[in-house]
Amino acid sequence: MWTVMAFTLRNKVRSKSYIWSTAIMAILLIVVANLPYFLERLDRGSGEPTPVGYVAGVYPDIVQGMEAFFAKQEEPDVRLVPVSAGGSSAEAALRQALDAGEIKGYLTFVDRPQVGFPSVIYQSKALMDHSTGEALRYALESVKTEMVFQRVQLSETDRALLSTPVSLDVRQITDDADGKTAAEQGVAIGLTYAILILLFMAVMITGQLIATEITAEKSSRVMEILVTSVAPLKQMFGKIIGTLLAGLLQMAILVTAFLVNLTLPQNKSAIESLGIRLDVIDPMLIVYALFFYLAGYFLYATLFAAIGSIVSRTEELGQALTPVTLLSLAGFYIAMFGLQNPDSPVVVVCSFIPFFSPFIAFERIGLGDPAAWEIALSAAILLASIVAFGWLAAKIYRTGVLLYGKRPSVKELIKAMKAYKV
Amino acid sequence: MANAAGSGGRETVPGRRTSREGNGSMNPLVVDQVVKRFGDKTAVNGLSFEVAAGEIYGLLGANGAGKTTTMRMILGLIMPDSGRVLYEGKPYSSEQLRMMGYLPEERGLYPKLRVSDQIIYLGQLRGMSRADADRNLRDWLKRFQIEEYYNMKVEELSKGNQQKIQFIAAVIHRPKILILDEAFSGLDPVNVELLKATVKELRDQGTSIVFSTHRMEHVEELCRNITIMHRSNPVLQGSIRDIKRRFPQERVVLVTEGEVQGLDRLPGVRSVQRQEAGYELRIEGEDVAQDVLRHAMAQTAVRRFELMEPTLNEIFIKAVGERVE
Repeated sequence: MWTVMAFTLRNKVRSKSYIWSTAIMAILLIVVANLPYFLERLDRGSGEPTPVGYVAGVYPDIVQGMEAFFAKQEEPDVRLVPVSAGGSSAEAALRQALDAGEIKGYLTFVDRPQVGFPSVIYQSKALMDHSTGEALRYALESVKTEMVFQRVQLSETDRALLSTPVSLDVRQITDDADGKTAAEQGVAIGLTYAILILLFMAVMITGQLIATEITAEKSSRVMEILVTSVAPLKQMFGKIIGTLLAGLLQMAILVTAFLVNLTLPQNKSAIESLGIRLDVIDPMLIVYALFFYLAGYFLYATLFAAIGSIVSRTEELGQALTPVTLLSLAGFYIAMFGLQNPDSPVVVVCSFIPFFSPFIAFERIGLGDPAAWEIALSAAILLASIVAFGWLAAKIYRTGVLLYGKRPSVKELIKAMKAYKV
Repeated sequence: MANAAGSGGRETVPGRRTSREGNGSMNPLVVDQVVKRFGDKTAVNGLSFEVAAGEIYGLLGANGAGKTTTMRMILGLIMPDSGRVLYEGKPYSSEQLRMMGYLPEERGLYPKLRVSDQIIYLGQLRGMSRADADRNLRDWLKRFQIEEYYNMKVEELSKGNQQKIQFIAAVIHRPKILILDEAFSGLDPVNVELLKATVKELRDQGTSIVFSTHRMEHVEELCRNITIMHRSNPVLQGSIRDIKRRFPQERVVLVTEGEVQGLDRLPGVRSVQRQEAGYELRIEGEDVAQDVLRHAMAQTAVRRFELMEPTLNEIFIKAVGERVE
């Protein structure tokens, strides 16, 4: 069995597709890990504030208020540049300054006597200049508020009260001493979601790989030699474990690449500023993730192997795999649904059904608060079904590898099993 | 063994086992009264034979006669419904796998893998060490003069060379029992000779070989004993010499200086065929042959006169054909 395993692992790891997919995914993950940092850098632009022009002399109180607002900021997004109208019209002078590159955009004001505050138009050549627009909006809001404050004469405390944003903290009630804060919940949902996708992809991709390889061995007839060299059971489990190791290795490489890049100094602050903190991740969650990955993998892999063994030609494999694929997809979609409602009865029931539980039981652990016995029961059912399906798959495999030609029906398969005395 | 040939029973061979047991040694491969049914269809019906060390045993039969099922039972892929297969006196176990080599009729290797990788893997699967398998592989490649294929992928090789690699895969672990299913099909004459010589050499080294084919000339050249199967039943068993002796010699080849008249009028002559250099006659019995010779000598000088023994091909067709009612 170790020989089969080592052979499977070696060939997989050396195959071009494996190397390429690992490399490409690693690069993608590294990019994703560094994305917040890059975005932040881009946001800041070159660090220089955007020069925005206005016609000198219009609405001096508003312009001064804005200048005061930007002056208070450490890294202001906008620098106001007065443009003298000179002889020509104001609009033309601003356009001239824009074309000359002195300013990136300009402000014009339209009177609104009934409101008491002009409407402001910011014009620039950039298509989507949101950040500058936002900065200008904040500045204008602040100027307006200041104007009102001066008129109604509020006390300092009232002012402070008005300007302080409302603090609303949403917490989840669990058996643990303190509930998960909103930030923790966000991380939990994000992490659970990420691990669910990883679980699903790992199970499906490696499972399909196993089925494909077994069918390929059959269709290339190398199977005839293999089954006469080593017991089919050893062969099947050797292949399953070998592929698992290849998958784990790939995942380890990817996760390491991702984490190393996340913890790079420049990324740390960027990620924390997004409200993601890695240290709030419960290490038990990772342990559960690993357990359900392994369990789910073995459950599906044995089925995939069994199906691969009864199909003689690779072209027919996809069709034969459809039921299992649908089963796993159903599990995955129920899990997606459960992201929002981890405690709905459907999710709870499904967390005990073997083919769904790898996804759904894990999700409940990550998001909800299942009792210990629920986790234990779910795991026990899962393990028992691995043994049961492993046994069944081994029987099917033993028979299937010898059957060539048309894909056998269930009845034919049972008949053949009896005939072969497996 | 006495009723091994089943209901037909005419061509039963005296049991070879008794003669062997006299030596006190058990043959490496003993197939004893095996029966295999698939549903209500019987694939092999009471087949028995033994293969001695250093013997090539011929398993003949038309397509669907039960050869592959027999070989699969010997390989332990399927268990007989009754009867047994013994390997050096022991029943089947996974250890026996290691001393068996198999060249399946449907050839197959990993097309994308290098020759060295897969042959060494197959050797390892049968319990060899890596180094051992590698050494053997190099020896074999050298022997077939295809050393440069060591690092090539199988799909890059010609069909004939793939066959050679396949053959190496079957013998890499020096099996004691070797099962060759249509070993020479699809090979050019040069390579057939090469593989034939190799098979003979393996035989001389003491390997027990079960050899299945439709090609009678190979069987005549290689095998000592044969079984002809027809529709799941063994219809003819024994050594080729015995079998031939049991079939009357009914063919006479006559090459003469001039023409011979009136051959077809001789009593006991069934047919006369005029050939390029002489005549080929079918006769009723061996004693008629002398009459033919005398008759010919009376007319002209005889260059060649031969009482031909039946070819295995003729015997096969006769044995199988007789059963097709």
